[in-house]
Amino acid sequence: MDRPPRDDLDRVIHERIRLGIVSALAANDALTFADLKEILQATDGNLSVHARKLEEAGYVTVTKGYQSKKPRTEFRLSPKGRKALEAYLGQMESILESTRKALGKNR
Amino acid sequence: MSEPTSETSTNAEENLAYIRETMETASGFTAVSGWGLVGVGILGLAAAVATYMRPGGPADPIIWIPTAVLSIALSTTATARKVRQLEIPLWSGSFRKLAWVMIPALVAGGMLTLALGNAGAGLLIPGTWLALYGAAVAAGGTQSARDFRWMGICFLGLGAVSFFRPEFNVLLLGVGFGGLHIAFGIRVARKYGG
Repeated sequence: MDRPPRDDLDRVIHERIRLGIVSALAANDALTFADLKEILQATDGNLSVHARKLEEAGYVTVTKGYQSKKPRTEFRLSPKGRKALEAYLGQMESILESTRKALGKNR
Repeated sequence: MSEPTSETSTNAEENLAYIRETMETASGFTAVSGWGLVGVGILGLAAAVATYMRPGGPADPIIWIPTAVLSIALSTTATARKVRQLEIPLWSGSFRKLAWVMIPALVAGGMLTLALGNAGAGLLIPGTWLALYGAAVAAGGTQSARDFRWMGICFLGLGAVSFFRPEFNVLLLGVGFGGLHIAFGIRVARKYGG
């Protein structure tokens, strides 16, 4: 594949906040809503909307509970989500590779 | 198939950089070892008890310098072990930032300790340690879990009390370097897996 057409990109994670959520979770076993908000500097509403989309796609799992009587929502990256991130990384790298090849040809 | 545009390529580069930065920030967020902090707290408590039992004053360097050295070694080792388990580089971007925001206040604490010692104002040294360590930890909390900001603020509060009530210096050192490290260490370990 010379270059994946942009339509091939996984639209679920090809969005800044959703890509951030998946990336942050890839580096951790689990993160709470508050942690993700802090790491991504996102607002409550924005983060909720995008986290829900990832949950609906099966890319993250959500556990709701309580800690010290306060509600606590915890996110984990699912195997499907990890696979999607790996595929997305591969696509980004292949775009760069194609660009390098094109640059070489045009020299 | 058409060739990639420079815009596509730039976006790909930006996306890869964003993924890397987010992963680094997120790993720095949870990589500080809570159990390492608990160990540091136990050392702090032992040092406070030893200080109470010795006649060398609350900022006795024979006790606190080895305690500081052992604490740095212990927390670094525990964090390095946790980082290895998480499979991230110890000297990643977030750790570099953490070091840069914490070290100036710690160095200032060292300089003030020497200056106050030379000026015969030893009673102010414990407050200086607590307040500047608190400033360093609160600043470090901007690069790590929010809990560290609160821990830093608690240290600052103890430092303020120490400046006005130096008769409680040993107790305040024990509560700060012992109690706060243990309490926040347990909290971090429970929240972030070790």
